[in-house]
Amino acid sequence: MAREVGRVEITMEALFARLAADFGDGLGELRVQEPDTLVAAVERRALHALAERLKAHELGYETLNFIAAVDHVRHLEAVYHLYSWHTNTWLELHVEVPRGTAELDTVTDVWPGADWHEREAWDMMGIRFKGHPDLRRILLKDDFIGHPLRKDYVDRAENHPHV
Amino acid sequence: MGIGDDVIRMVPDRLKVQYPKLSDFSQPNVITTTADLVFAWARSRSVFPFTYGLACCAIEMLSSGFAKFDVARYGMEVFRPTPRQCDLMIVAGTVNEKMAPVLKRLYDQMSEPKWVVSMGACATSGGPFYDGYNVVNGVDKVVPVDVYIPGCPPRPEALFQGLLELQKVIRQYKFVPELPEVPEPAEPAERS
Ligand code: SF4
Repeated sequence: MAREVGRVEITMEALFARLAADFGDGLGELRVQEPDTLVAAVERRALHALAERLKAHELGYETLNFIAAVDHVRHLEAVYHLYSWHTNTWLELHVEVPRGTAELDTVTDVWPGADWHEREAWDMMGIRFKGHPDLRRILLKDDFIGHPLRKDYVDRAENHPHV
Repeated sequence: MGIGDDVIRMVPDRLKVQYPKLSDFSQPNVITTTADLVFAWARSRSVFPFTYGLACCAIEMLSSGFAKFDVARYGMEVFRPTPRQCDLMIVAGTVNEKMAPVLKRLYDQMSEPKWVVSMGACATSGGPFYDGYNVVNGVDKVVPVDVYIPGCPPRPEALFQGLLELQKVIRQYKFVPELPEVPEPAEPAERS
């Protein structure tokens, strides 16, 4: 059931202090990046539990707007853009993902809207989301080989079996 | 002398034999021509294009349908979103590898006779995305193309020139099938 959304007047500093107090190390390197955006680094093993707590929190982040995937060459990164309708602020969770075993826990059970975003991150960046109900490619055809937005992707004729 | 005669005089002599003078219609008359010519004349002027906009070129295709450019002048304004009602596929935009099988299937569903116009650099060769990991380098890898229109995007005028070229293609088309050769009946063998 959707909770009633009550607008909460709170300054960014107070919100920062509140989140830092409630989540502690869960939200690492928490900082205010823009007038309405907080940024935090999150351990990838702690992601799922944290997602549940963030959504259930009193000033919680009920909306997952987008999951971005970034290739930092040394490692990959997933960026979760959350939005709070109580405080009208954003929270970005930056999750570092190793290149070799690029795996994350799915958050589709917390925010169902994550479904297609996770499929796209898998399709383009090759981040595998454990527990996703239907992790197929979404933009490219099913028999495509490789994950083309990775920096080390090389386009070869073999990747296109039927053309 | 009516305005019709002026127009008739602008038609080159070699074409005149094919068309009656407008003044001929003022009295009972008979026109002799070939079925092919009539079909070709009619078909080339009532083409039903298939709404196949895939990328930015589609915007130019749409604008050519609006009042300022008005493709209706050539009898091609009825864009249809279903292949069963179309005989011209204007491929306007980038064909990617996931779209290619769909495009082929829709082309197969169009009823004969049918034509394909490749509009813009993307549909012709892959265009700016030639090296893309997911781009088909030219729609002619998937379906046969009759007219290619260069440009990125081609202006509506360029599309019209392509469509006028297509009308020439359509007019060459033989609609009446050739009659099969009938062998001469053999002479009855003479009784002895
Ligand atoms: S040819 Fe140019 S305008 Fe046309 S679809 Fe390609 S990129 Fe867009």
